[in-house]
Amino acid sequence: MKFSDHIKLGIGFKFGSLLAAFGILATSLTGYYFYSSSRNMLASAAERDLLTSTQVVGRNMKLIIDMIAEDSQLLAAIPVTSNVFNSPDELTAERDKKVLADTFTAMLTAHPEYFQIRLISTSQHGLELVRVDRNGKTLTRVLDANLQEKAHYPYVFDTLRLARGDIYLSDITINHEKGAHSGLNKPTVTVSTPVISSNGKKLGLIVINIDLNGLSRLLKSNLPSTYQLYLSNQWGDFLIHPDATQTFGFDKGKRILIQDSFRPVLSLIHGKGMNVVTNVDEGRQKQDGQVAAFVRLPFGDTIEKRFVILGLSQPLDNITRETTRLGWDTFQIILAFSGLALILSMLVSRIVTGPLNAMVSAINRFSKEHVISTLPLTRNDELGLLSRSFHDMQTQIMAHLSELNENRKALDHLTRHDTLTGLPNRRMFFDRLEHAIASSRRSGKHLAVLFVDLDRFKEINDTFGHAVGDKVLTNVAILLKSSVREVDTVARLGGDEFVILIDMIDDPQHVTTIVQKLHNLFQRALQIDGRDMHVYASIGAGIFPRDGKDANELMQNADQSMYNSKKDGGNTSSFHAFRSEETS
Amino acid sequence: MPMFPIICRLFATLSVSLALSLPAYAVETLRVLAWPGYADNDLVKNFEKRFDVHVEVSFVSSDDMLREKISANQGGDFDVFAANTAEMQHYISQKLVVPLQLSNIPNTAHQLPRLRNLQAIPGITRHGQVFAIPYTYSEMGLIYDRKQFRKPPTSMAAMWDPRYKGLVLAFDTSSHNFSIASLLLGGSPFQIEDKQFSKVAEHLIALRRNVLTFYTLPEESVRLFRKHSVALLFANYGSQQLKQLRDAGADVGYVIPREGALARLDCWAITRGVKNQRLAESWINYTLEPSVSEELTRRQGLASTIEASPLIVKSDKLIWLRPVENAQRRAVLWSHIISGDLPEKFLAP
Repeated sequence: MKFSDHIKLGIGFKFGSLLAAFGILATSLTGYYFYSSSRNMLASAAERDLLTSTQVVGRNMKLIIDMIAEDSQLLAAIPVTSNVFNSPDELTAERDKKVLADTFTAMLTAHPEYFQIRLISTSQHGLELVRVDRNGKTLTRVLDANLQEKAHYPYVFDTLRLARGDIYLSDITINHEKGAHSGLNKPTVTVSTPVISSNGKKLGLIVINIDLNGLSRLLKSNLPSTYQLYLSNQWGDFLIHPDATQTFGFDKGKRILIQDSFRPVLSLIHGKGMNVVTNVDEGRQKQDGQVAAFVRLPFGDTIEKRFVILGLSQPLDNITRETTRLGWDTFQIILAFSGLALILSMLVSRIVTGPLNAMVSAINRFSKEHVISTLPLTRNDELGLLSRSFHDMQTQIMAHLSELNENRKALDHLTRHDTLTGLPNRRMFFDRLEHAIASSRRSGKHLAVLFVDLDRFKEINDTFGHAVGDKVLTNVAILLKSSVREVDTVARLGGDEFVILIDMIDDPQHVTTIVQKLHNLFQRALQIDGRDMHVYASIGAGIFPRDGKDANELMQNADQSMYNSKKDGGNTSSFHAFRSEETS
Repeated sequence: MPMFPIICRLFATLSVSLALSLPAYAVETLRVLAWPGYADNDLVKNFEKRFDVHVEVSFVSSDDMLREKISANQGGDFDVFAANTAEMQHYISQKLVVPLQLSNIPNTAHQLPRLRNLQAIPGITRHGQVFAIPYTYSEMGLIYDRKQFRKPPTSMAAMWDPRYKGLVLAFDTSSHNFSIASLLLGGSPFQIEDKQFSKVAEHLIALRRNVLTFYTLPEESVRLFRKHSVALLFANYGSQQLKQLRDAGADVGYVIPREGALARLDCWAITRGVKNQRLAESWINYTLEPSVSEELTRRQGLASTIEASPLIVKSDKLIWLRPVENAQRRAVLWSHIISGDLPEKFLAP
C-alpha cells in the first residue's frame, strides 16, 4: 500500500521530528545554561579559593617575619649585647663577644632558614663585631681581619635611624657580601634592629640574614603541590618564581617583571587595590594556562610604604578538568534526555498517527470491500469525532448503496417480466430460447416451443371488463405454470399470447402429451370472481431442430401452427407440418 | 550534508594558506639582532614596505647574550646587530663583523659632529676600516641636589668630599667605578696598570666609606635620594634617571664632570655571515633617518645620534666605553670592596 505508507511517513515523521526537535532543543538549552552557569561558579570558586590561599600564605609570611623580628629584638635586648660595647678591657670584651657568638650559634641551630646573625657597630664604618655564618652544615664564627665594614648597606644605615625595638626589613636581594657563608649569591632578606644603650646612644645593630629559599619552602609547605608561589618586589621584579632563572633579573642586568607575565598585577604595583585574580578566561589565552591570585603585602616599616607582591598560581587544567568533567556529564545528560525525547516523540506520534492509519485502512477496506471496520468511536477527542463522523458517513453510504441495488434489481425484473402475470416477458423468453437452442445443439436433445393464444379473449374483455380480463390472464398464467416442469419457461409475449419453452426433451412424441395435457386443462372452467368461466386456447407447437434451425424460424413455425389451430375454430392444438386432431 | 560546500571551503583554506606561506619563500629576509626598543614593530614594517623585504627581529638583554648569539654559527644567524663600543673590539678581533661601505649609509652625514669622526671613536675602526656606526648613547653624568650645592659640582671627586659623607649615591658596578677612580687618580680609565690597582682599590674603599650606599636599580636610587636627602648621585642610567628624579619631585641638576662622563655608545655592525650586505647597510641607514632616530628619544628616552641632547653642551667630554684591561680582576676586587672587607685583607701592603 504505497500511498498509505507515504502518508504515514508524512504525518508521523513530521510530527515526531517536530516533537523530537523540540525536546532536544529544550534539553540542550537547559543543559548548556546549566553548564555555563556551573562552569562560571566553579571558575569563580577556584579563583576565590586561590585568593584566599594567597592571603593565608601572606599572613603566614608576616607571622614568620614577625617571629624573626622577635628573635632579633631578643638578641638586641639581652645584656651581653650591650656589654660588648661597654667592656672595661679587651679580655672582657672578647669574653662577651664569645658568649654572644654562642647565643647566635644556638639560634642559627634552631632556625635552619637563618643564614647569618651579626652584631654590627655604629662606629668604624659599620664594622662587624660578632658574626656567625652558616656554611653548609657547619656554623662558623667570623673573626678579626675577616670582619667587614657595612655602614654603606641600607640595612645598617636605615636600622640606625630606628628607635629601640623597631624592626628594619631589607629589600629582598641577592647577597653578594663576601664571606664564608652559604648565603653568598643566594636570595636573601635581612631583619635588623638597633642596639641602644640605656642612655639612648645608638651602639650598633643586630642583623639576621634569612634564606629566601628557606622562607619560600616554609610558605609552600602547606600548599598543594600544584600551586606555584610567586613573590615580587614593589617594582615587580620577580624574587620567587617556579622557574628560578626568572628571579632577580635586575641582578643580572635584566628586568624580569611580574606585570609582564601577569598584566593585572600592574594595578597592585600602582596601588589601585590590595589583591587581584587573573581570571580563568584570561588564563586560557596566556600565562601558560595558569590562574593566579596576587596580594599586595606591606613589607618593612609603614612610613616608606614598601610592599611586596605575593602570588599563587594554579594550573588551569585543575579547574578546567572540573569544568570539562562537568561539560561531559552535562553532555551525557543532554544525550540521555534527547534520546528520551526521541523515544517519547516516536511514541506520541504513534499514538496520534495510529488511529489515523487505522482510519486510512478502514477507508481503504470500505472503498474496496464495502465493509465497515471497527473505528476508535469511543474516544473523546478529535480523532473520536472524526471516527464517528466517518462511521456515520459509511453507514449512510451503505444504506444508499443497498437502496440503489434494490431499485436496480426491481428495474431488472421489470425489463424481463410481465408486470401483470409475473411471467418472463418476450425479451427474457428469447434469451432463454437462444440459450436452450445452444445447449440443445451441444447435447443433441430436442426442445419445443408451444404458442398458446386464448380464444375470443377480446369478447371477455368487452363483456366483463378489463379487470376480469386481467384476472383471466393471471389465472391462465398460473394454470400454464402449474402444468409444466420447473425447468420449463412460461412467458407472456403480450395480450392473450403465451409461449412455453420445454427444454431437454428426449422424445419429441412427449410434446404431444404435454400439448394434450394443456388442452385438457383449458377444458375446465376457471373460477373468476366466484363464477365459472370457460376460456379456451389455440396451441401451436414447434420442435427444434425439426421445425426450425434457429429461434426465429422455430418461433415462426410454432406461431404458424398456432395460427392454423385458430383458423380451425380455436380450442385446438396443432403441430407444425402436422395437425394434431382436436378434441373438444 | 552536501559535499560541494565542504570541498569549496577546503579549497579556499588551502589557497589562503598557500598565499600566506608563499612570501616567506619569495621575499628576502633581513635578520636583525637588537636591544628592546631599537627596532619597534611599526618602524620595521615601514622598512619592509619600502624595500619589499621581510625583517626578522630578535632581541637581547645583555652583552653576554649578544656575544653568545653572534658567536654561534660564526655570525651566520644574523645580518646586522647592535653592540656598544666596549664590546665591538671583541667582534672585530674575532673577525665576526665586516667593514662597512659608508657610501651606502649616507645618513651618517646628519649625525652629531662628535659622532661623525669615526676614527676618533675607539673600538669601531681598525686599520682605517669602519666596522660600526653609532646609533644611540647614554652618558653617566652627575645628578646633584640644587639645595645642597650652591654651585654645581664640577668633578666626580665631589663623591669623595667628606662634606657629603653619607649623602652620596654611587653605583654598584666594578668596571665603571674602577674607571672613574683611575681617571680621578690621573690614570687611564680603561687601562689600569698593575702597580696602580691597589691604589685605585684603596680609593674606592675611601669612596665606600664616604657614600651612603651603592644602588643598583634606578627606582632604588630615587627612593634613597629622597629618603636620605642625598646630595650627589652618580647617574649610571643618565638622562633617564634624571627624568625619574624630577618626576618624583626632586629639585636636581645634571652635569657632565670636567674629567668627562663615561658613556655607553651603541653601534650597528654587520656580521660576517651577512646574506645581503647592501640590504643590511640600508637598514643602518634607515635607522639614522630623523623620523626613526627621533622615535628612539621620544619612546625610549635614549639619546639619538641625530639631535643633540639638551643636557650636553659641545664642550662636554664623553668618554666612550672601551674594553678594560682585566674585567675579571676588577670584579674580584670590587666584590671585596662592596662587601666591606678591610684593605689589609685583600690588598698587598
